[in-house]
Amino acid sequence: MKDEHRLLIALQDLDIMIKEVKDKVTSRELQSLGFKLTGLNELQDARDKLAKKVPRALLQRYEKLTQHYTVAILPVTGSLCLGCFVKLPTSFFSAVSRNELQTCENCGRLLYIP
Amino acid sequence: MKSMEASKLISFFEEDFCIFHLRSRKKMSVLTEMVHHLALNNRISDEQFIIEMLKNRESLGSTGLGNGVAFPHGRSLAIKELSVLFARSASGVDFDALDGKTTKLFFLILAPSDKGSDTYLAILSELIGLIQKPAKLKSLYEVTDFPSLVKILEEKDQ
Ligand SMILES: [Zn+2]
Repeated sequence: MKDEHRLLIALQDLDIMIKEVKDKVTSRELQSLGFKLTGLNELQDARDKLAKKVPRALLQRYEKLTQHYTVAILPVTGSLCLGCFVKLPTSFFSAVSRNELQTCENCGRLLYIP
Repeated sequence: MKSMEASKLISFFEEDFCIFHLRSRKKMSVLTEMVHHLALNNRISDEQFIIEMLKNRESLGSTGLGNGVAFPHGRSLAIKELSVLFARSASGVDFDALDGKTTKLFFLILAPSDKGSDTYLAILSELIGLIQKPAKLKSLYEVTDFPSLVKILEEKDQ
């Protein structure tokens, strides 16, 4: 996996966490269990720092996808896109493209072969 | 807690996902040791992502809730299925707990990024309810094998 793909996956993990904290129902539940969620600014800073390391065009694609989907980048483990469950074409698995991020033609999510 | 819920909660615990004698003595190394243990048992595709995620979660606010117990948790693309790991440190670890005391028990709860969010919150909630019982907590501090752990978690009115 390329470094920029790794950065994007880490960014997505962080974005999901931030989304959860900003979600009123989830954060209220966590706080009622005793968790103190006081470091949202720190998370946001870490997010911005990480995002700066991702190549601009890739970041823009990712951020556009996250407007619609929680998971914008994901691994391919079978013959389906696990975002939309549509079968991927055989060309998808060609040796040349193995190391590259690819796009699901159906839903547009970013896919990689782990 | 009803018995049905208790059995469901226990079904998330596995002997392979228990560390009864944590070697680490520091916050970050405890997290690393637990994640590594899950990776050895093939639950994690990439340890680094999980460690990074847990580190970020701690910066949001310590998951050391006090009374010697911590609940590190979160979601990541690198976790294959909802996983619970139990770990115990006899001597205790400085985990920045809210009450300032050392932490002896760790319940690590990890969920995939696309699903299982509700379940992991339910597990968190049930476990946190459980440890409110002082007798149960005291038994957990001393637990060193899986059958005893299950027994303690199962017992209704301890
Ligand atoms: Zn798709």
